[in-house]
Amino acid sequence: MTNQEKYLRAFMEALEVTAAEAPTLVYGESRAWDSVGHMTLVAALEDAFDVMMEMDDIIDLSSFEKGKEILRKYDVEI
Amino acid sequence: MILTGKNAIITGAARGIGAATVEAFASEGANVWAFARTPNPAFEARCQSLADRYRVWIKPIYADLTNEAAVIAAIKQAMADKLPLDILVNDAGTMGEDTVFQLTPIDEMRRIFETNFFGTMFLTQLATRWMARKQRGAVVNIASVAGINGGSRLDYSASKAAMISATKTMARELAISGIRVNAVAPGYTDTDMTKGLGEKVEQSAIAQTLLRRKGQPEEVAAVAAFLASDRAAYVTAQVWSVDGGIL
Repeated sequence: MTNQEKYLRAFMEALEVTAAEAPTLVYGESRAWDSVGHMTLVAALEDAFDVMMEMDDIIDLSSFEKGKEILRKYDVEI
Repeated sequence: MILTGKNAIITGAARGIGAATVEAFASEGANVWAFARTPNPAFEARCQSLADRYRVWIKPIYADLTNEAAVIAAIKQAMADKLPLDILVNDAGTMGEDTVFQLTPIDEMRRIFETNFFGTMFLTQLATRWMARKQRGAVVNIASVAGINGGSRLDYSASKAAMISATKTMARELAISGIRVNAVAPGYTDTDMTKGLGEKVEQSAIAQTLLRRKGQPEEVAAVAAFLASDRAAYVTAQVWSVDGGIL
């Protein structure tokens, strides 16, 4: 599985959304991505890419695209 | 055995209730990352001895909980084993000087809270994210009856009250991730910490108990093991006093 596939899958499974919906999501603007879903998503991303995100990055994780940018800091290229 | 195959982090593992909890968990089949503040050959030898006796692994990991970088490094060290984390027991704690509220420097209160509360909260944030990966886990916070009834040292009792409150809020927020959070509130327990309180305090504490004796660390550890186990699968947000009966 490519990093892109793992990344998309983490969003789909953690937030229970479709592949089409995932890239459009913004934190706090949909029922799927609330604070609880956020922590599930963080756990899923950390598990998928074997990283431990810093608190500032967890707070910054606000969209599908932003997540890619944050993961780059942990040497993960999506 | 009620913890067979479980992997647990136990903080404050070198002494007192934490040390007893390491043995209780190992005897019930759990593997343990045993967190302690200071490198200690005797502690490492005890971990190896218990691991051999109970046929589990017990790995000493050192971290000062007041140092966030050290806590991150410690968690990463444990995570490097590539195993799931099933249980976290927060036992690390300290007690300040014997004084009254009006004479307790605010910096001293902060120092106690740094270890007993803030450091523990930071570690718990990291550990429960690790647990959330598998959507299951159990946290057991070792609080104190002083956190319920108030105690003679405001900094200590207030930090334990904060932990009790945090237990309930964490239980509420982490339930959706399959993580249970409970607390044990020991009464006067026979540890190095209480030995320093003196004979008068001890006699007074014992006199308040229905059982007319002090508790043993193993008696607290046994309750922690139960709460961490699947036998307590429907128990969360609870504070279980192990205090010999104080009414």
